[in-house]
Amino acid sequence: MQIQVKCSCGGEKCPEWAIIELQGVVEVQPWYEGRPLHNLQIGTLCRPSSQENYTLTIGYHELTGSKVMLKKPLVVLQKVKPIPPGTPNTSNSSSPQVELDVVGIIRHKILFKTRPKALISKPQPVVKERSSSVPN
Amino acid sequence: MEQQLGSSSFQGPEAVLNMQPSSSIGIAYHPLFGSHPDLILLELDDKLLPDLLLHQRVSLRGQPDEDAVLCTQSKTYAIKFVGTSNSALLVPPSHLYQLSQNSQHQEPDTIIPDDGKLIVPIIQVAPGNMELLEVAPRLDKLKLLLSQKPYSYEEALEDMEKDDKTGLYRWPDLVDMVQASNGELENGLMALSALEIDGYWRIVDEEYMDMILRMLLQNSILNEWSLDELDEDEVVSVLVADGFPCNIARHCLHVYGSKVVDGTVGRNAWRLDARRVGVHFARAILRSGKMKMDNFMEEWLRKIPEGMNVSFSMLEGEVLTDKFGVETWVYAFRVSSLPSTPAERFAMLFRERSRWEWKDLEPYIRDLKVPGLSSEGLLLKYTRRTQPTADAEPVFSAR
Repeated sequence: MQIQVKCSCGGEKCPEWAIIELQGVVEVQPWYEGRPLHNLQIGTLCRPSSQENYTLTIGYHELTGSKVMLKKPLVVLQKVKPIPPGTPNTSNSSSPQVELDVVGIIRHKILFKTRPKALISKPQPVVKERSSSVPN
Repeated sequence: MEQQLGSSSFQGPEAVLNMQPSSSIGIAYHPLFGSHPDLILLELDDKLLPDLLLHQRVSLRGQPDEDAVLCTQSKTYAIKFVGTSNSALLVPPSHLYQLSQNSQHQEPDTIIPDDGKLIVPIIQVAPGNMELLEVAPRLDKLKLLLSQKPYSYEEALEDMEKDDKTGLYRWPDLVDMVQASNGELENGLMALSALEIDGYWRIVDEEYMDMILRMLLQNSILNEWSLDELDEDEVVSVLVADGFPCNIARHCLHVYGSKVVDGTVGRNAWRLDARRVGVHFARAILRSGKMKMDNFMEEWLRKIPEGMNVSFSMLEGEVLTDKFGVETWVYAFRVSSLPSTPAERFAMLFRERSRWEWKDLEPYIRDLKVPGLSSEGLLLKYTRRTQPTADAEPVFSAR
C-alpha cells in the first residue's frame, strides 16, 4: 500500500503555521466547564520591547518566553479520506485510499518554559492556566 | 460588553511570528477548535523538504499489518510518534478553517473583550509529533515474493501466457508490498539478479541458469572464444540458436560476467567473473549435501573452465567447513539466504554454529547495514566476545 504525500501548496508557498508552547495544561474555570470553548479568549500575548521576549497572560498567570527556531522544521500534514461514491464503507484494500496533504510548515515557536508568575490584582477570568508539577 | 467575532476577523500565524515591539494580541479558541485527529505534525530534516514540497517524491509504504515507513526516492525511514506533556497551541493560516457563510455559531456566552485587540485563533493543542529514523530497507520480503515462482526452463518453453498470475509481481506490486524506497528496491532487484520478463520481475531458477552457463562454456570451447572478451552479439545468437530466449542469454552474461570497457567501437564485450562462476559450480556440487573437502575440490576444479583461476577463499559467505577428526567437510551456507535484519541474522548464525571465529563470521555479517551502527557496534550489541588467551583468535557467541 502506498500513500503519496501531496503538497498542494508548492515549495516556497507552503504556509507557515505557528506554535505557542507552554508547560502545563490550559483549562477553563470549573464553573465554565461543559460549555463551548469556541471563540473563548485564552489569554493575551505581548511583546514588550524590541527583544524577542514575550509574555503570555492566562488568567492570573503571567508566563515569559521567547521565539525560538525549531532545530528541525515540522510539516503539518492533513489526512484526507476520499468519500467512496455511494458504497458502504467496507474495510478492504479495494476501498479508496487515505491521502496525506502537506498544509503547512512550522519553523518557529513561541516557547514559554519559566514558572508562571501570579498576578494578584486581576479579575477572575474564564480561562486559567495550570502548570504541571514536572518541568518539561 | 460582549462581542462575537467571526472567523474572518481572526489573524493568522504572521500576527504571532511578526509581532512588533510593544504590541499585544489576544489568543482565543478557534470556532472549529477540537482534537482534529486528521492533523499530523512531522519533524523533517531541512534536506528532505525539497523532496517533499517540490518534487512530491515522498510516500508512506506498508501493508495494513506493518508499521508504516516513509520513503523518499532513495531512503527509508521508520516513523515514531513522540508525545509531549507541554501544551503546543497550534495557530493555523487564516485562510484555513473558514466558517461557511451559513454556519450557525450561536455562543451567547462568548466573552471577548471589546478593546480592538487582534485575535489569533488556536485550532488544536498538538499532542506531539512524528519523528523519522533512517532504517535499512525491508528487502527480505522482496526475496520471498520473487522466490515464489522462479522462472524455469519449463516455463520458458511454454508458448502460451498463463492466466494464473498468482506469485507473479510487476513493479507497482513490489512497491505496494515491499517497504523500501524506489532506489533501494532497484538495488535489491539487482542484488537478486532479477530480470523483468513480460512486465513481471522474476528470479531465474538455478537449474535453468546452470543449463545456460554450461551451454555458454561448451560453445566457448567449440568456437574458441576468450572468456575474458566474449562478444555479446555472437554469444547471444549462438545461444538463441541452441534454443534459449534472447533475454535469458543476455541475462546469463549479466549474472556471470562484467562488461568490458573496450576501445573497440560498436562492440559489447564481457569478461566472465571467476568468483561468480566458481560459486555457481560449488553450489551445484553441494546441492545434494556436504562433501569431504578433497572430493569437493577435485570435482569443483574439474567443472571450472580451462584458464579460469579459482581459489577456495572465493567461496567465503557461500560455504562453511566442519572438522570431524582429521576430515574436513564442506557444505553450502550462503549469506544471501539469511535474514537482512541484524537480530534475525545473528540468531540464524548462532543456530547454525554456537561459536564463530572472526574470519568465518566476517563474510556473513559484512553486508549488514544498520544506519548509525558500525560493525563493531553490531558485534557489541548482538554477540559475546571471548578470547581465551591474548594471542588466541577471538570467538563470538550469542549474547
